[in-house]
Amino acid sequence: MPVTREEARAAAYPRAVIVAAVVSPHPPLLLRELTGRVDVAAGLRATAVSALAGATASAPDVVVVVGGDHTGGAWDPGLPLDVRRFGTTGARPSPGTPTLPLSLAVGRRLLDEAGWSGPTRMHTVARDASAADVDALAGELTRPGERAVLLVLGDGSARRGEKAPGYLDERAFPYDDELAGALARGDADLLEHLDPGLADELMVLGRSAFAVLGAAVRREGATPQARLLHRDDPFGVTYLVALWQLA
Amino acid sequence: MPGAGLFRHLPVPSPRPATVAGVLKLGRREFADTDLLVMAIVNRTRDSFYDRGATWEEGRALERVRQVVAEGADIVDVGGVKAGPGEDVDAAEEVRRTAGFVAAVRAEFPDLVISVDTWRAEVGRAVCDAGADLLNDAWGGYDPVLAEVAVEYDAALVCTHTGGLAPRTPPHRMSYDDVVRSAIDDTVALAERAVSLGVDRRSVLIDPAHDFGKNTWHSLEVTRRLDEMTATGWPVLVSLSNKDFVGETLDLPVGERLAGTLAATAVSAWHGAQVYRVHEVRETRQVLDMVAGIKGTRAPARVVRGLA
Repeated sequence: MPVTREEARAAAYPRAVIVAAVVSPHPPLLLRELTGRVDVAAGLRATAVSALAGATASAPDVVVVVGGDHTGGAWDPGLPLDVRRFGTTGARPSPGTPTLPLSLAVGRRLLDEAGWSGPTRMHTVARDASAADVDALAGELTRPGERAVLLVLGDGSARRGEKAPGYLDERAFPYDDELAGALARGDADLLEHLDPGLADELMVLGRSAFAVLGAAVRREGATPQARLLHRDDPFGVTYLVALWQLA
Repeated sequence: MPGAGLFRHLPVPSPRPATVAGVLKLGRREFADTDLLVMAIVNRTRDSFYDRGATWEEGRALERVRQVVAEGADIVDVGGVKAGPGEDVDAAEEVRRTAGFVAAVRAEFPDLVISVDTWRAEVGRAVCDAGADLLNDAWGGYDPVLAEVAVEYDAALVCTHTGGLAPRTPPHRMSYDDVVRSAIDDTVALAERAVSLGVDRRSVLIDPAHDFGKNTWHSLEVTRRLDEMTATGWPVLVSLSNKDFVGETLDLPVGERLAGTLAATAVSAWHGAQVYRVHEVRETRQVLDMVAGIKGTRAPARVVRGLA
């Protein structure tokens, strides 16, 4: 029986397995030094870090971090964070030094706090990424033969009240409910097909990153064991932490 | 809580220590040189200019200590003799007013830094026996034995500039080639003498003594150029509270000098003074915390705006 090249490759390199995915928000205030003498995000951070520590306890070959940003691309995970652009009195990176964008910077810090020092890859996905862009990135996340943990950084709506960053938009509530529900029950299809236009209007910075998670899980053909570990909106922005076990 | 150790991501703001010793040791307590300390005035007098006997009675004085501690005072400065001319108070009477009270404060507040404002060695000995940590020699080494008492009790010492005036003497036609130079030279000489006698280098402060041997112009210049004094590397104490240089600058009576006092406090903090001897603790604490936030030596309390 003839063997196609793809079948031969699949036999030689077992396909990649995403063993787990962790979803965390990426507000600057998760960076401890930015909030001053009070740690306003202690509970949120602890939940995200412990979800990551749990997911990486299975000793994956790699952690792949995906976060929303203005543009999509691969990032060197060894780049420094630039906390200074948000505040503190610390030194600035020397001019021209590349630094991680916010979503990946928060991911880097969470991984550090979870004790992960193993191989890491990082990608941004444009907030307005198309379905095709999302699918293409989902297909590039893992390499044949490796066991990977995904860390997906994204926030819900920032328009959840009169003091919220984007003021109040009542549509934020059903949108975030739907998003939280999908994360709670492992609904990859819903994540992949979140409405980009409405997400933009509601200042949902995580839409395209969530879509990448949805597409990656669809490609795996796995059924996630999902748990929503944290949901709140103390400053008018929805923060969600979820853990999906896939294998 | 002082220090950046709690916040491992917080950068250390200054590459060099603000004072030569780097640490201020006041009796049993040690403070980082970036900590700004409030010293609350507690008068055991009938006639001090601001409170006019409000804490003459011991119970009221203890109540004031409780209040200023609750408001954030790091140090209390107990005084038994009005700074200006007034009722004659001999050493025995000064001891009666201060020593027993120091013992009572020490019993109730084991960790509070207790200072006593006195120029007399005899009084210094009595109050150190009772538990005082700091001798505030507001009359600039008039009694040279007071520094030896500090050595004897491992107490801290404030070295002040009076322009050579005897205790309780108001300035009259004082003039200086350079008042700041005089303040630095005299206080540093007193500080170095104290250390040579055996006072712990970490326990000596210098105080330009606003209004002591100075007219308002002199006190304003000392404030304006306080950075020259802090540049000596000795920790600087300032006593600005409701003083006449504030009153004359703003043409305001004693009860209306708080805003002016706090403005002088802010400028002094910007220039690096470390200890603030005051009547109003809560307001001073706020000003110092705000200036420290601006300087970048103290993290703000709680920052959320724009970071969610």
